Amino acid sequence: MTRTDQAGGVSLSFYLAVALVSGAIIAFQIATMRVFSIASWAHFGSLVVSIAMFGFGVVSAAMVIGKGHFQRHWRLWTTLSLLAFGPLMIAANTVAQTVEFNPIFLIQDPSQTGRLLANFVLYFVPFLPGALFLGLVFLRGQTQFGKVYFANMAGSGLGGLVFLLSMYLVLPDRLMLVPLAMWFVGAAIWFAGERQRFAGVALVTVGAAAVALSLAFTQIAVSPFKGVSYARNFPDSERVYQAASPLGLVEVYRSSYFHFAPGLSDMAGLNLAELPTNAYLGMYFDGSGPVGLMRALPEHQLAYFRFLPMYMPYLLREEPEVFVVQLGGGISTELALASGARTVTVAESNPMVLEALTGDPFLTDWTGDFLADDRVTVVPYDGRLYAGEGEGRFDVVDFALPDATGLSSPGGSSIFEQYAYTVEAMSAYMRALAPDGVLAVTIWNREDPPKAVPRLFATMVAAAERLDPGDIASRFYVNHTYLSTVTVLYSRGGFTADEIEQLDRHSRAMAFDVLYRPDQPYDGDDAALVFQAFRDRYFAPELLDDPDRRVDMSATNLYRLMLDRMVAGHGDEVAEAYVFDTRPLTNDQPYFAGYIKPGDLVAFAGMPEAVSDQWGYLLLWLTLGLASLFGLVLLLIPMAFGWRTIFSRQPGKFGVIVYFLCLGLGYIVVEIGLISKFMIALSNPTVSASVLITGMLVFSGIGSYVSGRFLDRCRAVMPKVFLAIAVLIALYGMAIDPVLDAIGVLPYAVRIVACLALLFPPAFLMGFPFATGMAMLSRLGKEHFFLWAWGINGSFSVVGAVLVPIIGVIYGLSTVLLFAAACYVVALPAFFALLKRRAEAVPAAA
Amino acid sequence: METTEDSQASAPPGRRRMAVIGMLVVSMLTLGGGAAAQQAPYDITQITWPPLDGRQAFVDHMSAARGDDAGMLGWRFDRMQALANNGDLWRDREIAAFLMTPREVFALDRNRGRAYDHAYLDIGWGVTISGPHIVGRMTSALDIQPGERVLEIGTGSGYQSAILSYLTDQVYSIEIIEPLAERTTATYAELAVDAFPEYGNIRTMAADGYHGWPEHAPYDGIIVTAAIDHIPPPLLQQLAVGGTMVIPVGPLGAQTLLRVTKEEDADGAVVISREDVYEGRRTVSFVPFTRAGGGIWSQ
Repeated sequence: MTRTDQAGGVSLSFYLAVALVSGAIIAFQIATMRVFSIASWAHFGSLVVSIAMFGFGVVSAAMVIGKGHFQRHWRLWTTLSLLAFGPLMIAANTVAQTVEFNPIFLIQDPSQTGRLLANFVLYFVPFLPGALFLGLVFLRGQTQFGKVYFANMAGSGLGGLVFLLSMYLVLPDRLMLVPLAMWFVGAAIWFAGERQRFAGVALVTVGAAAVALSLAFTQIAVSPFKGVSYARNFPDSERVYQAASPLGLVEVYRSSYFHFAPGLSDMAGLNLAELPTNAYLGMYFDGSGPVGLMRALPEHQLAYFRFLPMYMPYLLREEPEVFVVQLGGGISTELALASGARTVTVAESNPMVLEALTGDPFLTDWTGDFLADDRVTVVPYDGRLYAGEGEGRFDVVDFALPDATGLSSPGGSSIFEQYAYTVEAMSAYMRALAPDGVLAVTIWNREDPPKAVPRLFATMVAAAERLDPGDIASRFYVNHTYLSTVTVLYSRGGFTADEIEQLDRHSRAMAFDVLYRPDQPYDGDDAALVFQAFRDRYFAPELLDDPDRRVDMSATNLYRLMLDRMVAGHGDEVAEAYVFDTRPLTNDQPYFAGYIKPGDLVAFAGMPEAVSDQWGYLLLWLTLGLASLFGLVLLLIPMAFGWRTIFSRQPGKFGVIVYFLCLGLGYIVVEIGLISKFMIALSNPTVSASVLITGMLVFSGIGSYVSGRFLDRCRAVMPKVFLAIAVLIALYGMAIDPVLDAIGVLPYAVRIVACLALLFPPAFLMGFPFATGMAMLSRLGKEHFFLWAWGINGSFSVVGAVLVPIIGVIYGLSTVLLFAAACYVVALPAFFALLKRRAEAVPAAA
Repeated sequence: METTEDSQASAPPGRRRMAVIGMLVVSMLTLGGGAAAQQAPYDITQITWPPLDGRQAFVDHMSAARGDDAGMLGWRFDRMQALANNGDLWRDREIAAFLMTPREVFALDRNRGRAYDHAYLDIGWGVTISGPHIVGRMTSALDIQPGERVLEIGTGSGYQSAILSYLTDQVYSIEIIEPLAERTTATYAELAVDAFPEYGNIRTMAADGYHGWPEHAPYDGIIVTAAIDHIPPPLLQQLAVGGTMVIPVGPLGAQTLLRVTKEEDADGAVVISREDVYEGRRTVSFVPFTRAGGGIWSQ
């Protein structure tokens, strides 16, 4: 290995070290998100990492101002930053585990704000030396920026991949050692290449200290408010299963203190001779849950199933062919088998669940190994994709309560994609029904005022209209138990009078309130009054005390009203009038959460305790505000310090800002937007994120490397590149869903390869603009811009990351990608501004 | 067990934060039937009720009759008026029960000065006494009559059952946190031999309240002062026909205070109905309880 020379020529060891340290930085980001995901809640991890990424902006601003100093003491600063980065990762995480932050108390306990800030600061610190090291190597390697950037990008991508693969081998509480190892190897290569023996000795010392710190102290302190913490605290609690993989950590606990009742009728306790006791295990994913795993019930307790809401289709169809959309804890499948199903086809896209329920002796014994029943066929991918493969096959399609639930999900409805509940998915379930088949969808019904349930109604009605336009009034039957579950039954051929009578009888016997039945119009209060009362509840509560204005504000009345209007084709009026968003879920807007309408955002922000289940969404807006503010500050600091000195002789300042701002926003928006989109094919958010992040970074790294060949012709080539990127992204935004649907049914490894292939064209091209822009700044002698631009790009990446879910919730994912395409279109003229030479600028300035 | 809460009766409903309860499940440990399980019930018709219509008259009466601190009595009366105005206390007998119960005795020493604040109060073990408004509202919604049998799930400080003991002589209470159950049982016993013989009627047990207390069922009223996401079937079984259960049900941050009734319909069939005590106008916010030996009821 050779030293870097003073002219900036760089060696293989230089590139390797840059790649490894870059990999360590991204691995640290993912590890931090894993820590939050398991210890508390994932979306706080994303926020913390987003804010921490401003470390790049801060370092860039400092380097612009102190560029001369950093150039003079380049060796000292690279050594110090490298030595500090690794131990600080471990130290920050270790200390953060002692700062108990509980989002549940964010409003009630003022100290929680300080604790959240402490988390922001702690995880921010390691990014400073990490970013400083990268800034210094970019500064040194600016003449060959494409190659350095390639090492940075490819190293990041592969580092992320290595980290994710390591999750098969390393349990979560040791995961921080993975970025530490990458850092150590990278730093060792660097010091060897630079022949810094003393630094090498120091590296071994601090590395050993970091490992010792990591082993000596807790690396993941699970919040006592996580579901799994309760299970661990039960006096007779016993963990009976544990498995870790990149898909997450699965744990199953046994305790006599688990009390499940998934929609169980209130009449069960009164009518059953014997209620099953000690009947469930609790399954937790990353500490969240539980999902109940029911033990095989003895013959004399099977009557229990009749009191569950998912039993209703079996009243209407004998010996049916059944499709269970998602296995979950398996209750629907067990119920189908106990209710006389001739066959049961059950889908489950999470291989960890299937592995647990088919491969673990204790669990198979507990559940009676029902998946091995001759009548059961398991589909190892998403039920909605399987349902879309053929028409008219099933007498009963069941989609009931597959999700974990409990009291421990703050922000109850954080923003995540729920493609199984979209209009497209519901249409597929309906299409999979035999001519007289019945679809039964049951979801939790625990919000008053309701939020998720109206969206389910709207989605199923829209799906029915899409499938068979015309009169859909006879195709639905809906009932619920207040604050328990709601079940929507759909018959493609319409319910007969006998069937309705049967369902009515059953509803009465089970104490389920009927919310909708054919030929029974809503006969309650005036719709406008009811909807207005729900708005007044938040915005003019004193009006509700007016004795002359008594309005039935019960959820039952509201549901009846909404269903009546929706089935009659007036869903838009409901969406307009009701206080929360009731628009249907679609593949473009696959979110249950984000109920607050944009126009009410400010008002609700002033009373967060009134919408405490929406904190996740409100925090996104808060983060967007903070990120934009920080981004602007970091943009302006170098300008304030150097507008008349550093930058005074440099034309094209505005162009530089616009160019790198657009690239920062555009790139991350594409990346995160496609992570959301590709979940259609990959089903799992972790896998989708892994594939997309790795693919984007590596392919863009290759693009940046190749872009170096076109620098001399960049004025001719780059317009084509920008336009190609914009067209491709727009195309992906508008038309990629069917392609992803088709990929989604392939074997998992093939799905990943196909997704990577799909990703390559835009990702490769998106490597060009940043590398070319930076290289041209360097070539034009605009060194200060060079560092500044890097910081602008990094800072606005954070803004873009937060912008995606917000645009996605309000306008849809296609709009997200169109926004990104627009960023690249706007960047094109800015590119030419960036290329301005001083001589060109003088007349303009005059 | 009681709740962590922060509610503002005089604030707009949108700003209200109410009960915060985590339903606990702890070892099935019985403490031996409570303070006065083996004694004949104290006859609550012997209680001399205070005047309800004037602050000074109330203070004078109680100071003379029971020797309560006059300052505390004044605060108690003021809080009663606020609760009555806010619709948290519905009838005279619940108002009288509220006025008879010395909340300050059930608070920790350090919180006595805040006993009648519109706030929850820490009582140790991470548990709190609910604010007076939620205690008043739940008691009123239960509408317990003299001689009726009532079961409380979540004894906590003992304040809620103490109020109930002025309404009926048949009060049963289950606490899941064993040391808290012991402390509260001792408090009742101590007060019962002092100036509060009615507290001798309260039977306590340390156990997992999910399963109720079948030995004394059926109950005319069941009051659950802890968060849960479904109504435990054993409690429905132990609720008498014609009985009422008051229970906070729902997800974290937005639970609904349910009034559940069990009745016979015209055909003689038993039916269960649920209604929101607040008629859809507000929710209560419960935080899961956390500590060793604790847990939640979960679906």
